[in-house]
Parts: sequence; structure tokens; C-alpha cells
Amino acid sequence: MTKIPEELRYLKTHEWFRTDGDIVTVGISDFAQSQLTDVVFIDFPQTGAKKKAGEPLLSIESVKSAEDIFSPVDGDVVEVNKELSDSPEKVNKDPYGSWLVKLKKTGKTADSMSAEEYRKFIGE
Amino acid sequence: MIKETALYDRHVKLGAKMVDFHGWNMPLYYTSIIEEHMAVRKAVGLFDVSHMGDIVVEGSDASSLLEHVLPSAVSRLDSGEAMYSAFLDANGNIIDDTIVYKINNKKYFFVPNASMIAIIFNWVKDNSSGYNVKLNDLSDSISCLAIQGPRSKDVLDELRLEFSEQFKFRYHEAPEYGLNSITGKSEIIISGTGYTGEKGVELLVNAERSPELWDSVLEKVRKYGGLPCGLGARDTLRTEKGMLLSGTDFNRDRNPYECAISFIMTNDHDFIGKENLIKDTKEIFRGFKLNEKIIPRHGNQIFNGNENIGTITSGTISPILGKAIALGFIDRKFSKSGTAVKINIRDKTEEAIVSKPKIVP
Repeated sequence: MTKIPEELRYLKTHEWFRTDGDIVTVGISDFAQSQLTDVVFIDFPQTGAKKKAGEPLLSIESVKSAEDIFSPVDGDVVEVNKELSDSPEKVNKDPYGSWLVKLKKTGKTADSMSAEEYRKFIGE
Repeated sequence: MIKETALYDRHVKLGAKMVDFHGWNMPLYYTSIIEEHMAVRKAVGLFDVSHMGDIVVEGSDASSLLEHVLPSAVSRLDSGEAMYSAFLDANGNIIDDTIVYKINNKKYFFVPNASMIAIIFNWVKDNSSGYNVKLNDLSDSISCLAIQGPRSKDVLDELRLEFSEQFKFRYHEAPEYGLNSITGKSEIIISGTGYTGEKGVELLVNAERSPELWDSVLEKVRKYGGLPCGLGARDTLRTEKGMLLSGTDFNRDRNPYECAISFIMTNDHDFIGKENLIKDTKEIFRGFKLNEKIIPRHGNQIFNGNENIGTITSGTISPILGKAIALGFIDRKFSKSGTAVKINIRDKTEEAIVSKPKIVP
């Protein structure tokens, strides 16, 4: 069964996020990584880039497809997980340990789901 | 309704990610496409390719019918030999590619792609009037297990199965695995074929008994550092080697010259498509190497400056090169290996170098 940690929030587009003060950490769910197949390249945004809730934050290239990853909040990119540039497969092996981007929240948050709601949403 | 192979339960038990592949519920990967790919290149991999078809052509006109529907000199095969070929339509375009096996002068069988079994069966049947042959679609009663990679012979040795060299096949008597509907005897066909570009064999066996064979083979595959492999790795492996994928690289729109498989054109007789076959096609099938991991996908366009000079039909990451690679059709003027071209990939334009279809030697 797909791993869905209780303490995180989820978007319908299969991102997870965690809010610590005004810092929002974003990654992709276990379900998302299993659908994508092996992640081979992450096209990170520049730090400082301004992103809007529900709009593309970055794109992920996998063996099977290239997909946009959406931002859960309005905010500025403060950090990207550079470690993943050399080992993008970590997103497959540990999707919740492998955060992609940290944003500083400046505005609204997109509609999101609890772990329980997300499990229902993906039909498990 | 989605179809399952006789090995479906094995895949689920191994934790495979299952996907709908042309109406078949098949393993895409077990752990990782790239790890499975490397297992085949460095050691050995085991694939379930039972979704592929098995059609027997039997009768005194078997070889003349096959030389009517294929552009290849099927009659030059010896018993126990196989060859790669393709069914052409009246325009000379490829409907499906296939491997044809000669059992004896009056009995052959061929393996169409999974999505093409009914279409090809009907195509051959509709073109068989006046030929003394019987056609039998045995696809549902046969499983095919592909054992591919440099250690594949070691796996066979352990199982006391004799290895078959490329495009040869043999029979291994095995009462415990039940009746093989292709031969009508209790035996496994061991065929020196595959779709990975590695040394290897494919075992054709009674479907019902095939889970036990899968278990025995997998145990030995793991002993030699190998893995069970899904269709994801099968696709990255064939793409590195420039092997065509039916329905993706061609779809009744390309002929064998265009697909760079003119070596199959060995048939001197009249065959379907011969009259309209154009040799000097505008485009030809080629490989493309990128220096990035941004992957061209089916339908992406190839450019020289502003001039559109071709179309990508397959793209993936090459686990061996660590870079993106692609296959596609390009104007012959730009088809020389080493030519620099540009490929439009979503909102980007990436540079690529033309290569022979076999991108990874």
C-alpha cells in the first residue's frame, strides 16, 4: 500500500507539503513517484523565484514522462534540494525524505487534503 | 476487459507496478526501470512477454503463403531457424513486425506484437485463399519467458537447458511442464531471440504450467545477480539498441527502407506491397543522442534552423550513457551520423546528434 504520512497535507496534483512558520516544504507523494517511474532529472526553479498557489513550481523528467509539479502556496523559492541533482532516484526511494523546494509563504494556500482524504482521493 | 498473462499472480506477489499495456495488465517495473535495465546489461533479467502472440501456419503451402505476406525469403530458413520480418500492406507500409520460426517444411509459426494478434491473424487469413494451409492462433495457451543478459547462459546451464544461439531454436523435452500447443509435444521451445540487444533466449511453454518455470528461472536469475524486469526496462533496452516498436515507431505509415530494416527484403517472389514499395523514401529511421537528461518524446519535431526535418517516435533515458536518447525519422539529407540537429521538447529546444538507430554499441 502507498505510504501517506499523517502529518503532511496533499494537493490533488499529488504534491505533499509541510508548513513550519512561514516556510513551506514541498515534495511529491509516494503515489506520484510510482506513477512517474524512475525520476531522471529535476528542472529546479531559481531561488528567489515568485510562485503562485496552484501554478507550476518545477518540472520532473522521468523515464515515462515529464510532469509539472505545482506550488501549494503563493511564495518565494528560498531553497532547492540540490542533492537531488546528482541522485534524482532518491525521489523514488524516499519521496517524503526527498523534499524538492522550500518556499517562503507570501499569500494564499491552495486547497489541500489531509492524509485520510488523500488516500480516498487516490482510491485506496 | 483487461487481459492477464498466466504469470499475473507472480508479478503481483513480487510487488510489480502493473499497467494497462494495449489491453494487457503487465508489470511496468518491479523496483526500478533503471536498475532492471542495468541488470540485463551487466548480468541477466527475466521478463514475462506472454502477451506476445503465437500463430501457427501449417500445410503444404505454409512457406509460399508466408512468402506472399512477408518480404523475406522464408523458404531459405532451415528447420530450427528463425528470422526477423514484417507484414506489409498494399502500399508497402509495415502493419507489424514479427519473428518467423520454421519447425519443418510444412509447419511454421510467427510471433506478432500483443496489440496486433487479431489484426495480423485476420490479415494472413484473408490473404490465404488458394493456399493449402491451416492457421491457428495459440497465443492464449503459450507463455513466453525472456531470459536476457550476459549471464543468461549460466542460468540455462543451472536449469539443465541447452542455450540457443541467435535466431536458432531447439526443443527441450519436459513432461513436467505439459503440452506445448505449438509442437503438440511435452516440451519447451528455447529460442535464441529477444528484444534487448543482449545475448539471451526466450522460452515458449504451456501457459498453465509457466508459473512453476518462472519460479525456477527467477531463482537462478537472482543467483547470478539478475532481476525480474518489467516492460519499462524492455523499452529502454530496445531503444538503446534502435529496435523498432510496433505502433509507436511505425503505425502503417512507414516502409522497411524508411525503417532502416532493408535487410529483411530478401524475397524474390511477389509479395504483398512489393509493387508500391518506395526505396528512396524522403525520411529514414535514426537514433538521436542528447547531452542532457531532457527526454524527447513521441511526436516532438526535429529542426535544422527553422526547417522541420523530422519527427521523434520514441525517447527515453539511456541508463548506459546517462543521457537522453531518442529514435525517429529524419530527412535523409540530415541522416549522417554526427549531424547536429535541434529537437523541440515542450517549451525548450535541445541539441542532439544523429546516430545509427543502434545508439549504444
